[in-house]
Amino acid sequence: MTIASAPSAIHTVNLVKIYQTGGLPVHAVRGIDLRVEPGEFVAVMGPSGSGKSTLVHMLGGLDTRTSGEIWVDGKRADTLTESAWAILRRQKIGFVFQFFNLVDNMTVADNVELPALLGGASARHARERRQYLLGELGLTDKADASPAQLSGGEQQRVALARALANQPQVLLADEPTGNLDSRNTRDVLRVLGEVHRQGQTIVMVTHDARVAGLADRVVTLLDGQIVDDAAIAAVRRRPKGGAGGVVELRG
Amino acid sequence: MSHSTTAAEYRWVRADLRARRAQALLAILAVAGIVTALITAATLLEDGTNPWRGLFVRGNGAHVWIHTKDAPNPATLKGLDGVTDVAGPYRSAPATLVQGRKKTPVALQEMAAALPAVGRPLVREGRWLDADDPEGVVVERSFADAVGLRPGGSFSVIGLNGATHDLTVIGLAESGDQGFYPEWTPGLAWTLAATLEQVEPAIGRSESVTGLRLADPDDTSLIVQRTITKLAGQVQRVSTWREVQASMELDNRLLGVLLALFGAAGLVAAALAIANATGGRVLTQQRDIATLKSLGFTRRQVVRMLLAEHGTLGLAGIVLGVICGRLITVYALGETVVIPLSSAPLLAIAFGTALVVLVAVWLPAWRGGRTPPIPAASVAPPRGHLSRMARLALLVRLPPALVLGARDAFTRRLPALLTTFGLAVPMMMITIGLGCWASLDAFKSHPEQVGQAASLTVRPGSLTSQAANRLALADPDVVAAYPGTEVDALVPGQTRTVRARALGTVTDPYPFSVVEGRLFQDRGEAVAGQGLLDLLHVQIGDRTRLTIGGTPLIVRIVGRVLEPEQDGEVLSVPLDSLAPKDALPPQFYSLVLRQGADPAAVRSRLQAQALEVSQAVNPADRLSVIRVIIVALVVVLALLGLANLLTASALGLRDHALDLAVLKAMGLTPRQVMATLVTGTGLLVVIGVGAGAVAGAFVSSGLIDLQGAASGMGAGIGRAPAPATLLLAVLAAVGASLLVALIPARKAARARIPVTPR
Repeated sequence: MTIASAPSAIHTVNLVKIYQTGGLPVHAVRGIDLRVEPGEFVAVMGPSGSGKSTLVHMLGGLDTRTSGEIWVDGKRADTLTESAWAILRRQKIGFVFQFFNLVDNMTVADNVELPALLGGASARHARERRQYLLGELGLTDKADASPAQLSGGEQQRVALARALANQPQVLLADEPTGNLDSRNTRDVLRVLGEVHRQGQTIVMVTHDARVAGLADRVVTLLDGQIVDDAAIAAVRRRPKGGAGGVVELRG
Repeated sequence: MSHSTTAAEYRWVRADLRARRAQALLAILAVAGIVTALITAATLLEDGTNPWRGLFVRGNGAHVWIHTKDAPNPATLKGLDGVTDVAGPYRSAPATLVQGRKKTPVALQEMAAALPAVGRPLVREGRWLDADDPEGVVVERSFADAVGLRPGGSFSVIGLNGATHDLTVIGLAESGDQGFYPEWTPGLAWTLAATLEQVEPAIGRSESVTGLRLADPDDTSLIVQRTITKLAGQVQRVSTWREVQASMELDNRLLGVLLALFGAAGLVAAALAIANATGGRVLTQQRDIATLKSLGFTRRQVVRMLLAEHGTLGLAGIVLGVICGRLITVYALGETVVIPLSSAPLLAIAFGTALVVLVAVWLPAWRGGRTPPIPAASVAPPRGHLSRMARLALLVRLPPALVLGARDAFTRRLPALLTTFGLAVPMMMITIGLGCWASLDAFKSHPEQVGQAASLTVRPGSLTSQAANRLALADPDVVAAYPGTEVDALVPGQTRTVRARALGTVTDPYPFSVVEGRLFQDRGEAVAGQGLLDLLHVQIGDRTRLTIGGTPLIVRIVGRVLEPEQDGEVLSVPLDSLAPKDALPPQFYSLVLRQGADPAAVRSRLQAQALEVSQAVNPADRLSVIRVIIVALVVVLALLGLANLLTASALGLRDHALDLAVLKAMGLTPRQVMATLVTGTGLLVVIGVGAGAVAGAFVSSGLIDLQGAASGMGAGIGRAPAPATLLLAVLAAVGASLLVALIPARKAARARIPVTPR
């Protein structure tokens, strides 16, 4: 990786996270240097407890770092206050979680419009954006449904629509298919692939090698450190068809 | 912040309120209930202790009454700046009312057969004056009660010229233009002009009475001055609404303090209920709040949303409560209450409650704002060791459902504490309310224990005091008669006089209710009420020097008695302590009646024998409005307890939804699961209700005594509620709570439990 003319979408320098649990320090992330270029699709893999989720949470400001630097879109972000992080998330970062985390009390439409409204869009603009996104994701007829009435795959697609509502610079996805069956997984990955083709930067945590196969680049963590960082040949970038056999991981 | 980010907050609040309509409604109702109860109580208090206000407004009273020799020109008075209307002038003449051998001064005042616009007497019984019935008069009600006149009855009056006229009572009326008899003398009777003319033909022996209605009552003294100047030397005397109001006002200190106490406790209970409900809601929403924060909601926005949502419910409750309070005073209490609550207490109630609501909501909202933004973080309660309670339950070999329930009850410390307190405070207040009730009952059934051994007081009137004594003792229901005299005593260092009551003698003392020290046993010894001890800053055992009718008297205060009169500012001495010129003959005899005798019957028998008899007013009668307040507050407190309970049970269900799947997998039957859930809530209920009842029982009589002391009557009036009553209240509270907890538990136990986190 060389320094590009445009600033990296995300850039970390020696990022460290130490949890204090019951007086014992737990090193969740131990010095990660990661650079994600605009338009890149990075999959973060690793076994349970390797620090994947902690890393993504820190990249989005959901969790504070113990030391090190985080740069988002060329600006230093690790020194931001909680509120400044929140405003940064509104504008530049979209999140997708394993358990969807839709607001149950709100309809699908409200869930998707919420970030746009939060970002300062007018009600009309938010509605138009929501209609467009739900249309793209094939959920137009579910707009007035409550999240509990949807299948897992549908819920995750709504969550994706919500994350994309403000056209974020970076989409952070934490095990987006971890709670889905294979058919729903396929649906969600297809959407992610399409979004990526339109130029969306994505950082996705997964422990499923087939899912990771969709990405441009796979970063593998073990015990809080990067043990492998490899690009995947473009021809392999297909959601199905034996991706699992292609990606060989060391360690 | 732009307009649109508010739109996002608004959208979430709206969605959340829609999702929990019933809970939101309950929160509104709880606050509305408290506000309604406070307003109703305050209205009753204001109206009950200040009857002048109602009479004055209903009768469109005149603020100032001017007594002049000749009738002034009403147009002149009406032309005065600040005077909006004039009543009269009416002719008024003194006369003497004769009943048997008893003579009472009375003022006869002319009025037209058509009621005037200003200063209108309010007919309570019978009818108003009628031109076709010249002998008919309308008598002021308190005066009629005192002299025993009824509509249809007849009496004679003697004019100043000595001629006797027979008149008939055709109606009784009240008026806000003159105080109640006997505080305000002479008694008043309204007659037609022609009738007055017959009784008192000489214009020179009558006076003219004119009422002025003012634009601003605060200008009274100014306008009185102007009128006196205007009528140059004509004015004989003036009475103002302030004097009338003061003479009608009851001592409302005890009531006021009790009401304030209940109001404050009600507000505390409301605060706990709201804090608990909001806190519980925020806890169940932690995941949603975390999601919102991951979307970019700031901490401040989250706090603001929660404050807005829950605060709006509280404020809606206040508005609803104010409306309900008004409606209740207008419709339900329309007969007793004329005027709605004046604005100062109304505003105090509304703003006080609003403040309480906001503070109660702010804390959970602040905690909600601090939710970490990672929605995946565990929101399950801390699990692990069995609580001490659960270990105890295991030790005594309780069924497993109870043990599990006992463990569940305390998994979340703060909510458990809030729930327990939230139930304990209402229960404590209910117990204190029952204590007040018991104290009032004790007042009623044992007046001799609250300083009212004698229920009747006889004044000799036209008889000699020996004759009066003899007549009184001849009545079969009279057990004893104690001679007494009341004089004003000057106390050094005091600008005002205190009441000194000489009652009973050293050898035959009146049965005072001595609660501290002992009764006087010798001349020069005295007992006093709490009010007097406070006023003079003296204690039992101190000597004090007074001047009675110019004669100095040094007494040693040897005991404190319960003193229901004069705010307790009464010093009681044996009659033989006074100088003979002050003591003899005794002004009155206090009659102790046979247990179970009807004081009213004895009174009318004695009155028939030309004795002046007055009946003691039981303090409980003056406090009867408290009973209404107690019932209303018990209802509201129960509502608050219910709100707390629903929060606790919702929280319990949510916390243990996952456990339930495990429990079922372990082989617990739905019935056992239900028992587990009910135990989890029920244990907190039992602890809260039990603690509240015990605290209330301990506190209530002490608290009532404290109020008694503050009102001057003195400690020693408080009674704890009867154990049976208390037990019944506790059982009712626990039983109702368990029933309420049972419904959601039943539903949960039968439902299929999802195994995924959501």
